[in-house]
Amino acid sequence: MKRVPCSGCSLLCDDIIIRSDGIFIDEVVGACIKGKEHFDHVTAKNRIINPMFREENNLKKIDWNQGYNTAIELMRKAKKPLLYGFSTVSCEAQLKGIQLAEKINGHIDSNSSICHGKVIEKAKSVGLTLTSIGEVINKADLIILWGANAAESIPRLLNKALFSRGKFRMTGREIKTLIIIDPVQTASFGVMGVRDISLMIQPNKDIDLIRTLKEECCVADSIPTEGVAGLDKDDLKRLLLQLTGAEYGVIFAGQGLLKPSDDSTTLQEFLELIEMINSKQEKGRISLIMMGGHYNMTGFEHVALANYGQNGSLNFVNNQLEENKTNTIDKISKGDFDLSIIVGTDPISHLPANLSSKLMKHPIIVIDNKRSATSDVADLFLPSAITGIESGGLAYRLDHVPIELQKIINPPNNIPSDEEILNELLQRLTSGGP
Amino acid sequence: MDLYKFLPKTNCKKCNPKTCMAFALALLQGKVKIEDCPPLLEPKYKKQYDTLKELIGSEEGQEKELQINVDTDLCDGCGICVTVCPVNARYCPPTLSGKVPDFPPDNHQLFQVKQGKCELLHIKYCRRIEAEGRERECRVCETYCPREAIKIEYA
Repeated sequence: MKRVPCSGCSLLCDDIIIRSDGIFIDEVVGACIKGKEHFDHVTAKNRIINPMFREENNLKKIDWNQGYNTAIELMRKAKKPLLYGFSTVSCEAQLKGIQLAEKINGHIDSNSSICHGKVIEKAKSVGLTLTSIGEVINKADLIILWGANAAESIPRLLNKALFSRGKFRMTGREIKTLIIIDPVQTASFGVMGVRDISLMIQPNKDIDLIRTLKEECCVADSIPTEGVAGLDKDDLKRLLLQLTGAEYGVIFAGQGLLKPSDDSTTLQEFLELIEMINSKQEKGRISLIMMGGHYNMTGFEHVALANYGQNGSLNFVNNQLEENKTNTIDKISKGDFDLSIIVGTDPISHLPANLSSKLMKHPIIVIDNKRSATSDVADLFLPSAITGIESGGLAYRLDHVPIELQKIINPPNNIPSDEEILNELLQRLTSGGP
Repeated sequence: MDLYKFLPKTNCKKCNPKTCMAFALALLQGKVKIEDCPPLLEPKYKKQYDTLKELIGSEEGQEKELQINVDTDLCDGCGICVTVCPVNARYCPPTLSGKVPDFPPDNHQLFQVKQGKCELLHIKYCRRIEAEGRERECRVCETYCPREAIKIEYA
């Protein structure tokens, strides 16, 4: 019986109680259904626990030595390998992954490049007001969900942010106001109270709302004269009052805000709006938390930024980091690669069909703890231990707070962790091997 | 007004609120019982008495047993019921992640999330049974469940 952090999603809840005999996990208390499924995955029926290699269109069982050697053979043949994923592995494994990319002159990227990595990139020039979940629990009185359906994507987020009785918010839900800005009526609307505001914005019109708010914020005590993006002027007035009057507001921005076609300008103006409100406000402030899905998506940015000075899309030529503007999606759409190494993600089912079909034209090496659509089409599959259950490591929570994950039980078949696999590959490449 | 229709409307001043209109209001608030009106017990008003009994029974359900039904198919274990329940909050120690229920749970705790699903532990400590006055009208767990998995019923 002990408290462990759960690596089921990016919230990394550290109050989960586990009853385990050291071999199996018997009981999970406090975790949501996502976390429970994550812990259940240890004994999943479809879990692959041996390295697999594709021969004559069938995946066949091979031993670990053969697995490593095949991987190295494929890497040596490749001129422009593409490494993608790394958002569900520990920070240690992410660093090894970047070192591997440096060794084989590859292009490495994490899922965050098509997610909230863009915000980090923009924040370098505009600025980002960060906060932590602990501060939200204890101080926040205004919670805004912008293009995010927290009730379904991160089930326990609303529980912690909105309902918790914090140190300076002892009454919990009663003192906190919730604003949801979303074009569709999601499950998160189910927690709305009488004082809360729901704003059904038109799809892809976030930029109009942001620009209007920026204009209104410049003028003190202004009253909006007309509605924008499907919202009437009363809605705008109430939103403005809350934004400028809150003691401690926090915006949870989800994929909805990241997806508009002209996303770079939207994000730029969005960050500028937050800065503007904060500079006008005297007593309070508004901060931003990006809602990434995978549990260590933020970690890759920290690791890459700390060690290589670039937060994503690292391209190595002649074992040197090269300045480049192309991201992974550009690379895949142009077909500018000849081997893909996918670590802990499932791009075949995440990416659109035209991109995933291009990915399948070249050999794929998958290092993952789950069976997925990508592992089914892989040429080489190396199974890994589940970080946070079968191996330890460091992970960054969605609010950029590092959490130490723990090893609870031993992996089946003594599967090595992601870090060990990548380290072994790196060492075999360095020593010259077969 | 529905209740007033079925009263004798004689303003006989035999009951405590003195007038039939006031009696209807008091009846609605649960301050008096139907038996507190002496003329209603007379055979003349038998039909009205039965109708009133039915109306009050369906609206108040005082004698019926409280049930909190948790639909485990809908529940996603977000734990909002655990956090928002005022009885639970009394027995949850404050941690860095807000107030979190202890394990093993306190004897008075109402809800607990176990194996990814909400679990009802001790219904007898629910405010709808224990508390007095306005606190008795508590429905927070039902109101704030984003999946609408919790239903408070009397059966």
